[in-house]
Amino acid sequence: MAATGVGSRARDIFTALEYGPVPESHACALAWLDTHNRLLGHYVGGEWLKPEHRNAVSCRDPITGENLANCLQAQGEDVAAAVEAARTAFKAWSQLPGATRARYLTQLAKVILMHQRLLWTLESLVTGRAVREVRDGDVPLAQQLLQYHAVQAHAQEKALAGWEPRGVIGLILSPPFSFLDMMWRVCPALAMGCTVVALVPPASPTPLLLAQLAGELSPVPGILNVMCGPALLGPALASEPGVQKVAFCGAVEEGQALRRTLAGKGAELGLALGTESLLLLTDSADVDSAVEGIVDAAWSDRSPGGLRLLIQESVWDETVQRIQARMGRLRSGRGLDGAVDMGARGATAQDLAQHYVHEAQSQGGQVFQAGDVPSDSPFFSPTLVFGLPPAAPCAQAEVPWPVVMASPFRTAKEALALANGMPRGGSASVWSERLGQALELGYGLRVGTVWINAHGLRDPVVPTGGCKESGSSWHGGQDGLYEYLQPSGTPARLPFLCESLNYDTFGLVVPSTVPSGPETGPSPAPPYGLFIGGRFQPPGGRSSRPIQDSSGNLHYVAEGGVKDIRGAVEAAHQAAPGWGMQSPRARASLLWALAAALQRRDTALASRLERHGSEPKAAKAEVEVSVRRLQMWGTQLQDQGHTLQVAGLRGPVLRLREPLGVLAVVCPDEWPLLAFVSLLAPALAHGNAVVLVPSGTCPLLALEICQDVATLFPAGLVNVVTGDQDHLTRCLALHQDIQALWYFGSAQGSQFVEWASAGNLKPVWVNRGFPRAWDEEAEGAGSELSLHAARTKALWLPMGD
Amino acid sequence: KGITTAAVCVYPARVCDAVKALKAAGCSIPVAAVATGFPAGQTHLKTRLEEIRLAVEDGATEIDVVINRTLVLTGQWEALYDEIRQFRKACGEAHLKTILATGELGPLTNVYKASLIAMMAGSDFIKTSTGKETVNATFPVAIVMLRAIRDFFWKTGNKVGFKPAGGIRTAKDSLAWLSLIKEELGDEWLTPELFRIGASSLLSDIERQIYHHVTGRYAAYHDLPMS
Repeated sequence: MAATGVGSRARDIFTALEYGPVPESHACALAWLDTHNRLLGHYVGGEWLKPEHRNAVSCRDPITGENLANCLQAQGEDVAAAVEAARTAFKAWSQLPGATRARYLTQLAKVILMHQRLLWTLESLVTGRAVREVRDGDVPLAQQLLQYHAVQAHAQEKALAGWEPRGVIGLILSPPFSFLDMMWRVCPALAMGCTVVALVPPASPTPLLLAQLAGELSPVPGILNVMCGPALLGPALASEPGVQKVAFCGAVEEGQALRRTLAGKGAELGLALGTESLLLLTDSADVDSAVEGIVDAAWSDRSPGGLRLLIQESVWDETVQRIQARMGRLRSGRGLDGAVDMGARGATAQDLAQHYVHEAQSQGGQVFQAGDVPSDSPFFSPTLVFGLPPAAPCAQAEVPWPVVMASPFRTAKEALALANGMPRGGSASVWSERLGQALELGYGLRVGTVWINAHGLRDPVVPTGGCKESGSSWHGGQDGLYEYLQPSGTPARLPFLCESLNYDTFGLVVPSTVPSGPETGPSPAPPYGLFIGGRFQPPGGRSSRPIQDSSGNLHYVAEGGVKDIRGAVEAAHQAAPGWGMQSPRARASLLWALAAALQRRDTALASRLERHGSEPKAAKAEVEVSVRRLQMWGTQLQDQGHTLQVAGLRGPVLRLREPLGVLAVVCPDEWPLLAFVSLLAPALAHGNAVVLVPSGTCPLLALEICQDVATLFPAGLVNVVTGDQDHLTRCLALHQDIQALWYFGSAQGSQFVEWASAGNLKPVWVNRGFPRAWDEEAEGAGSELSLHAARTKALWLPMGD
Repeated sequence: KGITTAAVCVYPARVCDAVKALKAAGCSIPVAAVATGFPAGQTHLKTRLEEIRLAVEDGATEIDVVINRTLVLTGQWEALYDEIRQFRKACGEAHLKTILATGELGPLTNVYKASLIAMMAGSDFIKTSTGKETVNATFPVAIVMLRAIRDFFWKTGNKVGFKPAGGIRTAKDSLAWLSLIKEELGDEWLTPELFRIGASSLLSDIERQIYHHVTGRYAAYHDLPMS
C-alpha cells in the first residue's frame, strides 16, 4: 500500500509541478543570538556593553511575530562613550600604515566569507527580506566592498597624498537601510583611517554581528562601534563633539531636520536620502527585459523603496499587460524560503504602502495588485498604481515599497522634463534599444546613477550618489573615499555655533546707508551697477553703499537686494545649459582669454589693490597668481570623468563629472582679487553658471574684471551682486533654485547657510569663519575646489546583442 | 500509469526498428525522427523533403527538422518561411519540431525572428539546437524563444511547444529548465505536449537522484544499468 501511495504522490507532483518549500535553516542565527542570551547590547570599544536601566526593544520575526531577541537602546551617555572610544581608536588607527589597514580589511572579508551563512540567515530572519537577495547579492557585495577598499587603503599614501582621514565618523541609519548600506560607508571610512560610531535602527542585530566580527579581528579596539537606538538619538550622535563627519541614510524630512540641527555644530554632513528609483521605458525598449527591470527595482527585495515608472504612450497597453502578467507570477512568503521573490518587511513598511495606496485611490489613481501572496497579515501584494492625475499629491510624493507608480509620456524630451521635475535625484534606468536615444536620456537625467537597459546594478568601483533632495554624498569608488578625507593640515572641526543667532532675522534687513560725501579717487572707476545678465544694471532698491579704501578714497557701489538675486539666478539659469554643454576645450579657451584680459589690466588692478592697503610687491604678486589660477583651471579641464570597469559586467561604466547648475559664491573680504578669481575659475571650469557676491570691503576689483567678462563670456554666465553680505547670503541660501552655495565669510553666516540649505538640500561649502590661505596652492587651487565644483554621475552601459 | 519519456527520438534509418521495438514492448510512446539532413541541414531541399516523407511513412509521428541557417544569416525571412511551410506539408499528420540551431544564428534578434517565422509557418515545437553544435541550449537564447512563444500565443491564441536540447545532463539542470518554463510561460506549458527536454544523457542522473532519494546513499554508476 505504501508503495502505491508514494507512486501516486510522485505522479501528483509531476502533474501539478508546484514549487515546494525551500526552507533555509536559521539554526545558526538563533545559536548566535543564544550566545548573547537573546539580549544584544552595544558593541563599543571592542567589547559588548550591556549597561543597566536601558530600554530594550524586541526584535521580532516579521512573519511569525516570534520574539527573537531584545536589543538594548542606546542613550546619550552611551553615544558619548562610543564617540570617546572611537576617538581613542582614531589616534592609533589613523597612524597605522595603509598596508596594515589593507591587511585588516582583507582578513575581515575572509571572516565574512567564512561566516556568511550566519550573516544571511540572520539578516533574512530579522528583516524578512528574501534570503536569495541577501545571500547572492548583499553578502558577496559586502565582501567585495572590503576587498576593494583594502586595495584603496594599500594605495592611499601614494594615490591620495595631501589628504588625511577626517577623524571620527558618525553613521546614522534609518529603518529601510540595511547592513549593506552600513558597509558602503564603513569600508571606505576604515580604509582611509577613520573610525566609526554607527547608530542603527532599534532592532537590527546584523550590524551588531558585523561589528563583533570586525572588532574581534581589529588590532585597535573601537574602530567600529555599533549601537541600536531610536531615531531621536541621531542628532545627539551628530552633535557629539569630536564627530567630524556625519553620514546619514534616511527619509528626506529626517535629513532636512538633521541639517538644521547640525548647523554650526562643526561636523560635515553627508546625506543619502530616500529610497525611490525611476525607470524610463521608451517605445524602442525590449519590454520584457524592462519588466524584469521593474521586478528588480520594486518587487525583488533588492531595493529598499518603490519605483516611479514612466512609459512611452505608444507602448503603454503592451507594457501594462506584460507587467500585470509578470506580477501574477510573483511569489511572496517567508524570506527564509529560497523560492520566494518577496518577503515581508514588517508593520511600518506595510502601513506606509497601505497608506500610499489608499491615498492614490482617493486621488483618482487605479490600483492593480496581483501575485501569489499568502492572505495572512504580514504580506503586502506587489502593487501597480496608474492613472493618477499629474498634479495629484501621490504623483509627486515618494513611492514606497512595494509600489510601482506608472505614468505615461509622449516624447523623450517630455520624459526628461517629467523625470527632472521631481524633487529627488537618486537613481534611474533608461530602457531603449536605440543607443543615441539612451545616451541622450542618460546624460540628461539629473540623478546620481543611470543604468541603460538594466536596473539596480552596483559595484564597489562605481560611485553612487545623488542630487537635489536625495542628498549629495557618494559611496563607492574614488568619490566615496573623499567623503572620509580632508586636505592635510585641516584643523579639527569644532562647533562654531552661535546660540543667539536668530535665523528669522539674520541678514533680513539691510542697514540703511546715507551719502557720505562725493566720490573720490582716481578715475576711471569701474562702471556703476550690479553685473547681471552680461551688463551693468542699477540695483532694484535704487540705493548705493559707500566703500572706503585705506587711502581714504570714497566709492559707491550698488546695494543689491532680494530682487537682484532673483534676477541674477534667473540670468544664470538661462546661461547654464549652454555653458554646461560646451566642450571643455571651449571653456578652457575662454578662461585663458580672461587670464589674458587680466594681464592687460594688471597695472590698474595692482594699483587698486595697493590703494586697499597691499604692499606694491604683494599687489603685483596677487595679480600674477590670479592670472595663473585662471590658466591652471583652463588646463586642468581636460581630465574630467573616466571609464570604470566593473567585474562581471560586459561593458563600461562612465564616471561623469557634471555641472551643478547655478552655483552661488560668497567671497571672503580678504584677498579681494585672488579669492574672487580662485573661486570663479573652478566654478566656470566645471561648467557652472555663477552668482557671486564679491568681497564686502573691496568689491571694485570684481567689478573691474566684469568689464572683461562682459565682452568674453555669454551673458548671464557670471553675475556679480554687490551689497550687504549678510543680506545677500540670506537671499542666496534661501533660494530654492540654486544648486550649490559656497560661503566664505563669518561663522554666523556659515551657520545660517548650513541651516537654510535644508530647504532644497543644496550642497554647501562654508569656511565656518576661518580664513583661508588663498595664495597657497593647496587651499587656493587644490582638488578640494574641484570636488565641490561638480557632481558625479555613474552611467552604466552594459553591452550585448 | 508510470512516468515515461515523451518520445523516442532516432535517425530516420532507425524509425522502423524503433516503431517495431516499442510495439513489441506494448508501449505507446511516439517515435520522433530527425530529418532534413540532420544535423547540418546542408542538403538539397528536395532530398530533405523526401527524408521527411520517408520517415513519416516508416511510422514516425514527430519530425525534427533543421532550418537553413544561411537564410537566417542573410536575412531571407520569406524564403525561410516558405521552406518551413514545405516541411509542414511533407509532415502531413506528424508533428513538426523545428530546430533553430541558435548557436549559429548570430544575435538574439535573429533567434527571435527565426522563432516567430517557424511558428507562423506551422511548427508544433521550436527547438534550440541539434545538440551537435558547439553552443547548445543556453538560458539567454531560451528566454528569447520562450518570449517569442508567448508573444505568438498572445497574438494568435496558438500554443507552440518548446524543446531545449544539448548539454542538459543533470537532474538539477532539468529543474532549472522546468522553472524557467514555469516562470516565463506558466504551468499550462509544463506538459509533454508543450515542453520537452532533448537530452540523451539526462536519464542516468535522474535515476541516480531517485536512488539517493530512496536509499539515502549516492549511487555509483555501476549500480544502475547503462542508458
